[in-house]
Amino acid sequence: MIEILQQIINGMAIGGVYVLIALGLTTVFGILGIAHFAHGSVSMFGGYLTFFLVVMWGLPLALAILIALVVGFLLGVLIELLAYRPVRNANHINAFIVALGLTMMVEGLNLEFFGHEQVVIPTDFSRVFNIGGVTIPELRLYVILAAALLIAAMTIFVEKTKTGQAIRAVAENRDAAILMGVNVNTIPLVVFSISTALGVCAGVMVGALFAIAPGIGEGLVVKGFAVLILGGLGSIPGAVVGGLVLGITEALAAGFISSAYKDVIAFVAMILVLLVRPQGLMGKA
Amino acid sequence: MLKVSDLRVSYGPIEVIHGISLEVKEGECVALIGANGAGKSSTLKAICGLVPAKAGTISFEGQDITNQSGHAIVRAGITMCPEGRQVFPQMSTVQNLRMGAYARSDNEQASDLEDMMNMFPILRERAHQAAGTLSGGEQEMLAIARALMARPKLCIFDEPSLGLAPKIVAEVGATIERIKKMGKTILLVEQNSLMALRLADRAYLFEAGEIVLSGTGEELQSHPEVAKAYLGH
Amino acid sequence: MKLTTLTAALALAGTTALAAEKTLDIGVSDALTGGAAVYGLPQANAVKMAAEEINAAGGIKVGDDTYMLNVIAYDDKANPTEASNSVRKLIDRDGVKYILGFCCSGATGAVASFIENEDAVMLVGNAAERSITTREIPNLVRTRPPADYTGAAAGTFVAQKGHKKVAVLGALDIGFYASYVDAFEKELEKAGGEIVTRESFGLKDRDMTPQLTKIRELGPDAILVVGYVEPAAFIYRQAVELGIDVPRFGFTSGSEEQFLRVATSEQMEGVWDLRPTELTLLSASDNGIAYHANYSEKYGIAPSPSSPYAYDQTYALKDAIEAAGTVDDTEAVAAALRELPVPDEVVMQYLPVDGKMFDVNGQAYTSNGAFQWQGGNWVFVQDLPSDAAAYSAFLSTID
Ligand SMILES: Nc1ncnc2c1ncn2[C@@H]1O[C@H](COP(=O)(O)OP(=O)(O)OP(=O)(O)O)[C@@H](O)[C@H]1O
Ligand SMILES: [Mg+2]
Repeated sequence: MIEILQQIINGMAIGGVYVLIALGLTTVFGILGIAHFAHGSVSMFGGYLTFFLVVMWGLPLALAILIALVVGFLLGVLIELLAYRPVRNANHINAFIVALGLTMMVEGLNLEFFGHEQVVIPTDFSRVFNIGGVTIPELRLYVILAAALLIAAMTIFVEKTKTGQAIRAVAENRDAAILMGVNVNTIPLVVFSISTALGVCAGVMVGALFAIAPGIGEGLVVKGFAVLILGGLGSIPGAVVGGLVLGITEALAAGFISSAYKDVIAFVAMILVLLVRPQGLMGKA
Repeated sequence: MLKVSDLRVSYGPIEVIHGISLEVKEGECVALIGANGAGKSSTLKAICGLVPAKAGTISFEGQDITNQSGHAIVRAGITMCPEGRQVFPQMSTVQNLRMGAYARSDNEQASDLEDMMNMFPILRERAHQAAGTLSGGEQEMLAIARALMARPKLCIFDEPSLGLAPKIVAEVGATIERIKKMGKTILLVEQNSLMALRLADRAYLFEAGEIVLSGTGEELQSHPEVAKAYLGH
Repeated sequence: MKLTTLTAALALAGTTALAAEKTLDIGVSDALTGGAAVYGLPQANAVKMAAEEINAAGGIKVGDDTYMLNVIAYDDKANPTEASNSVRKLIDRDGVKYILGFCCSGATGAVASFIENEDAVMLVGNAAERSITTREIPNLVRTRPPADYTGAAAGTFVAQKGHKKVAVLGALDIGFYASYVDAFEKELEKAGGEIVTRESFGLKDRDMTPQLTKIRELGPDAILVVGYVEPAAFIYRQAVELGIDVPRFGFTSGSEEQFLRVATSEQMEGVWDLRPTELTLLSASDNGIAYHANYSEKYGIAPSPSSPYAYDQTYALKDAIEAAGTVDDTEAVAAALRELPVPDEVVMQYLPVDGKMFDVNGQAYTSNGAFQWQGGNWVFVQDLPSDAAAYSAFLSTID
């Protein structure tokens, strides 16, 4: 029993990261119908930047994260304006190719600026809590809590604010949203900046809890899309449930079935879910 | 109030509106009738900025709004209740209604919401249900109410009776009648030409992207060709 | 104007002075970027440094000629296809006959599969996959011993410590790590011990808590971690976080700096690394200390522990060319390598077989060491019980 609980806790940290990545992907997909592959690499850029500010400039972690977040917002705006907007009305394959090109570009920039060695964002959180045999390192706990907080903030934003509702409206029916007076030119900017900021948070979490290295972002974006499909395309609750399910399934698969095949098992589980619910866990049929 | 002159609209290389002119005066109810594919919806979409006008001008309250972006036209005071209702399916009834007031910045939205619930009691019952799960008639009421939430000066309805049971069609007709009595200016497109012409002060007949006939509602009702082709007598 | 003339004259003078010497191009194919660059880049640097030293000391003497070394290094990203391409480029375009570097097994194996048909000699460094030297390719030698040579020594060592139930967590989809564990297991079982579980992780995995949680439930006497430094550091840290307090043994060859980026010194305390002795200052010879100092000075960063495999290649090549008395006849140079005594300048501590640096398989053997993390540093504790001659005989039986 303790082992199962421990594995669930183990899976929640990476699950939280998956959720944050998937939230960004799912809102972008919902609004623009594009698969924003570069999201993982852009997220890792945020993690790298935080690392750089903490280690090279000696800034306090909180300040570094704040700066990275602001940069994330701006970067999101730039990506939308410069990369995706020009191909918005073109064939979907164009946006697809832009996304791939952008991924390579951002990966290249990361490599150029931050090198090929893994970087770990240093933190002071090294305590370990032990609750009845289940151990939780302090940092992991904070990552899980921060992810929960961000998910809650995102949900409140989308459900309770006017801009959030406009984002949903555009995702659900673009023309009708225009008829409500929504400016469909600014909404993608908002979506990209929020997505990118969430991605930056995920990048910081990965960088503090694990490590950032070339290729990690690409791996995460694949998981992020798996979460999207698992949870239901464009669905925010789907991203939350899907991310946690994927993270915990991976941990349970590695712990109870086979560590060598944990990714395979997680994907098989995903396919099984889709056989029963083709629209995803939270998707509308 | 609204003046359309020599409007042309095309989708890609294909022109579907070939230079039409029409006018809606303040307080009027104007109907556009015509067969499927005649170009009524395309005209409305051009007015609302959903499709570009290739040529011609559209002006509203003396301002040129030709090819302005859709959200600016909404702010100018034109709201459309689109063909096929187009509610936001996963948002609740209340959320849909609030979206209707998206372009407003005053603080009377809550009381307007209350008014809509009173005007359409069914919406109060369905307040927190996802709009996509409402029946067709309920969705139409929601779409109309949502349009009214914008407090438009000109209210455009594109086929509000589409696909509804006869009883509901009558209800929709009565609703538009009420909106007319509220003093709203209305531009109405209807397949149900009889209903449209009864409601309308004036009407235009579309055929293949052109206006072939115009006049008061009664005039068109009694016009032999209209009667034969569209009213089914 | 005057200045330009002067410069031109000087340049001309320089060329004439050098004209008596010849240049020998040597190639390096290694991972200069990407994940494996932690191993590959220092190797390429080491070759360049050795070449400069050799040039400064008067070059390579063949008959009346003196050759100055010129290093052409290509990035193979540790990728088999890229490595094959860069070696082809070196041989076909640059006319290179001697190719050094080779940090990683996949890329090295790909080149090894065709090098026998080339008029070239291949000197392998850090790549640890055993099969690279089991086919007795006459024009290939390797300075680093195969992983299972070290694995067997490690197994004996852990068994001698009295551990019976060992849990393994490793990059087991990589051949040489798996063969380290196999050889380890064989020695452990001889002493009545057993491996209770073999858990895997991938190159990019950084969260090993699921595997460690499973291991924690099994209650082993010790754990053995085999894999690249970067994931291994996370395993050591996460094992502590999960409250696993049994001895931790490993085969990772990471520097202090690399581990401290991930784990605190307290989290690392007591961890063993059972590996070829390689370059650690505590176990180093005078050569090793000088190498460390020169490399640090030249590149502004400490050399990786495995980088001398490539440095030593360069000196072995020099001695072999001089012994063969030719730079053109690669067969003669390859043969001379097989007969070579250990050069004086090498950094690693080779255990010669029959007095020769490379055995009949072209394989060199170093001593293996048990290193332990004590108070922030890797401390050389003792040699592992390694048997180069016996392993060499065993290697000859495999094909
Ligand atoms: N998005 C589009 N792309 C291409 N052609 C279109 C598009 N929308 C409409 N059309 C064409 O334009 C013409 C006019 O269509 P429109 O929808 O305006 O007619 P309508 O009068 O509203 O018909 P209905 O009564 O069936 O709604 C039709 O021939 C239609 O096929
Ligand atoms: Mg229509």
